[in-house]
Parts: sequence; C-alpha cells; structure tokens
Amino acid sequence: MISRQALVVGLHRGRIELRQTMRTPREYLGHLGNPAMFLFAASLQTGNISGSSVASSRMVIAGGVASLLLLVAMVWLPQQLATEREDGTLLRLRGTPGGMFAYLVAKTLMVITIAVLSTVLLLVGGAVLTDSGFPRSPGQWCTLLWVITLGLVALALTGAAIGAVLPNPRQALAWVMIPMFGLLFVSGIFFPVTSMPQWLQIIGQVFPLKWIAQGIRSALLPDSALVAETAQSWQHWETFGVLGAWTLLGLLLAPRLLLNSSRRESGSRLMARREVVGQRSY
Amino acid sequence: MVIPAAAPPVAAPSSDPGPPAISIRNLRMRYGSRDVLHGVDLDVRRGEVLALLGPNGAGKSTTIEILEGFRRRSSGDVSVLGTDPEDAGDAWRARVGIVMQSWRDHARWRVQELVEHFSRYYPDPRDPQELLDAVGLSEQAGQECQQLSGGQRRRLDVALGIIGGPELLFLDEPTTGFDPEARRDFHTLVERLSTVEGMTVLLTTHDLAEAERLADRIAVLVGGRLIALGSPGQLAAEIQADAEVRWSEADERRHQRTKDPSRLVWDLHTRLGGPIPDLEVRRPTLEDTYLGMLRQEEA
Repeated sequence: MISRQALVVGLHRGRIELRQTMRTPREYLGHLGNPAMFLFAASLQTGNISGSSVASSRMVIAGGVASLLLLVAMVWLPQQLATEREDGTLLRLRGTPGGMFAYLVAKTLMVITIAVLSTVLLLVGGAVLTDSGFPRSPGQWCTLLWVITLGLVALALTGAAIGAVLPNPRQALAWVMIPMFGLLFVSGIFFPVTSMPQWLQIIGQVFPLKWIAQGIRSALLPDSALVAETAQSWQHWETFGVLGAWTLLGLLLAPRLLLNSSRRESGSRLMARREVVGQRSY
Repeated sequence: MVIPAAAPPVAAPSSDPGPPAISIRNLRMRYGSRDVLHGVDLDVRRGEVLALLGPNGAGKSTTIEILEGFRRRSSGDVSVLGTDPEDAGDAWRARVGIVMQSWRDHARWRVQELVEHFSRYYPDPRDPQELLDAVGLSEQAGQECQQLSGGQRRRLDVALGIIGGPELLFLDEPTTGFDPEARRDFHTLVERLSTVEGMTVLLTTHDLAEAERLADRIAVLVGGRLIALGSPGQLAAEIQADAEVRWSEADERRHQRTKDPSRLVWDLHTRLGGPIPDLEVRRPTLEDTYLGMLRQEEA
C-alpha cells in the first residue's frame, strides 16, 4: 500500500489541489482571511499585558498563530474529509492501487502548506503593523519550529479522526465550530488565561491548543511576559508531554476511523444519500 | 475511434478460455434480518460481456460491490481474477476497473488533469490523450469535471475505469439517465472494449434492451436469486412466454395464446380444410420473456 510510487503520486495530487486553491478566489481568500483577521485584532490592542511591559498585541499575534493551526487542522481538514467521502473521491481512491495513501500524502501537503503560509503572513504582518516580531534567539526559533510542528501533527491527526466520524459535510461546520469556539475561549489565546476561573483553566489544559499557544508565546515574547502565565513558566516539558500524548492518541485513532469510514462507503450508499440531498434542495 | 491498447494486443480468446474471470458460489448477503442475496452461483468467463439484469432492489449493486471488494459478504465463496476481493491488494486493484452508479467526485479537477493524474497510479497505463480521444472527450479536456453533461461525465468515469488497462471492468447501471444518443455512443464504446481488447465486462442494468444489445450472456437476478442465465436466444427459449395466434373464422377475428403455435396452426389448417384467413403468429420477444419471468417470480 505504501510505496515510493504512491508517495510520488500523492505529492502530484497535492500539487494539483494547491493549484486549484490558487485559481479559486473564494478559497485562497478564505485562507488569507484568517491571518488578516488576527492581524486586525492585534492592531486594535493598545495596552500591555497586565503586570508587564509587553504589548498585548504580541500575545494576540502568538495566539493567532496557534489559532491558524487549529483552523486548518481541525476545521478545514475534517470538512474536506467529510466532503470528499460524500462526493465519492475516497471511494474512487479506494478502488485505485495506492489511492488511499496518495490521498493522505496530498492532504498532508495541503495542511502543511496552508499552515506555513498563513503563519508566515501573520508573523510578517505582525512585525510590520504591530509591535510583535520574530523570535530573538536561535533558542526561540527552535522553540517556534518544534511547537508548530508537533502542534500541527497533534491537531491534524485529531482533525482527521473528527473528519472520519462527521455525519456529512453540511452539518460538519456546526459540529466543528461550536466546540472550536469553546476551545479558543478556555485556552487563553487572546487574553491571559490567569484571568479566567480555575475550572475553565483546567479544562483548557487538557486540550492541545493552550499548550501550542503558550509554546508560541515562549518563542515570540520575552520572559518578562511570564507574569501572565499560569505557572509563571513556559512549561516546555509539559507542552511536549501534552502534545505528544495527543499525537499518540491521534495515531491510534485516526487511521482506524478513516479506514472504517471509507469502508462504510459504497456506490449505492452514495447514490442513496445523493437522492436525500437532491430532495432537500428542492 | 479505436481504443488504443495499453500493451501489445493479446491473442484472441481461444476455445478453451481457462479459469473464469469471476467465480461465485452460494453467495449470501444479509443486512440485519433482511436477506438480499439468497445463494447466488455464477461464473463469468474471460473475455465475455455478462449483464446482470434485474428490477431495482434485486441485489445487483450489492453483488457487484461484493465483487469489487467494497462490501463484505455474509457467506459464500467469491473469486475475482483468482483472488478473494475481500483481501485483495494493490496488484489486484491495478487489474480491475470500476465504474460506479453515479460519481461526482473531483468536481473541480480538469478532465485532462484528472485522467493524467490517475494514469500515474498504474504500472502500465494507457496514454491519457489517446484515451480522451477514444471516449470522445478531447474537446472537453480543459473543462472542469463539474461542467460536463451527464453523458460526458459517464464517459470520463469509463476513461478513469480503464486508464490502468484492466482485464476486468465493472459497470454498475452505466446508462441510467442517458438520452438515446448518449446511450448509443456508450454501447459502441463498451462493445469496442470487449471485441477489440477482449476485456471481460460485468455490467448491471435494469434495461433489457441494453442487456440484449451488449451482453454475450444475461443473468437475471430477481429478489436476490439468479433465475435464468444464458445468451439472449437461450433465455427466450428457456422460459417460453406464450405466442399469440390471430386468424379470421366465420367473419370473426379470433386469437389464442399457446406454447406451441405451430401445433395450433396445423390444427386450424385441418379444421378449416385450407388456407387460414388473416393468419398472424406473434412470437414472444425477449422482453415478453423477461416480463414473464418477473411475473412468475412474483407469483
């Protein structure tokens, strides 16, 4: 199933999907809109993080980077999976030698490209338009890279698992967005998590987003911003532990759920569902 | 229009075709407490076109999806190109082409782009450009798949089904929703695949005329049971619907249904002592036979 040929075909597939995104304004504007939104939110910030001399806009930019990863891996990806399961793309690839592996390679390429491009846009925009900037030391650069990489892997695996169990693409947005807003709220993305009730903080700590945002802050903000952190520390080991645990969980769940969901599909089931969709649109 | 061969043309099937392309023994399928297939036995010979004919809900799609490896059967033995499709791998997939009931996938891909991309999955693919010519889609090569008409989309699906140069092609209800011209073009395409390339084709249809036109043999599936199997001629003979004999006698139009029209005509000759006025003998068409079979099953 996994062969060099399938890998090469998967990359070819990914390149075509990227090209299609480039020629569809609705799509690339959608992807560009996310960093623009966070940049706008950051530019509205005037004060400092309470108890420090670090501009709040820098925290918003760092939180924005974490949110961008969340959006591509846990909103865009599950929606794609649900849509392409329903329109028969997955089924056709299941009937093609090496098709499923090539599909996963292509989606990985897409997720990485979207995540990296939007992150670069937000960081550069933040440096130009706000007081935010880039990491100041090789150590901070390293931190930024490993947090984004491990965080994206953890989120994307979880997103793939979610996409596999989503009922259909029309309900996907509601199923995904509502918990997503809750997660953004409890993860201390745009205001210090210390300002929230203890129990909400604990909920936030279970999920990867809080740790990704904290890790990115540790790479973009000076240590004087630590006053606003829960543990008054960047907690790199804890971050690594939680993200690693989510990655392992995703590795266990995602392949199994994806395989099951593509097994559930067949031509006649697609047909039956399409008739339901057809009836709805009248 | 000639379908280009992916490899040097193979020798025409000899009188001994070897092991069958598909072999099905006592195939059963049960969904919950409902039996969809009640022990189907069927062999598809290499190089033949076999139509699985039956009304909607007869179990045609279930059967073909089991053969394609998309569905797990409840029991029975199935061998497709010598392999059980349930544990078939990529090497087997490369030898089998699949055209499903209705596909709207890859809607935003351009036709040429999609065919070219799918050629890359196979060890020995056809030339994408020649294939597009062969299915009559060269003019649409630059269009997005979602802009194609129903018939064009279906021909694209067939192109994708045969891009890998399969030995066996599955066509599930291939012409549903076609206008007559698109249907005729499609039939010509399938005939060419079979006669020029010796490809084995298993197609499902609820349209008798289509089965008669395309198939070397027809298997009639009703209510999850195979009730008849044979060439169109054999089928007509196997379950003989009554012929109708019409004639005039004593200034009156008469008609009678009979299994043996020749016998009836002989009796009439004898009784009338000469030529029979206004004699008409209407032999059952295959359609009458098929409808007769459906009626028999329902009874």
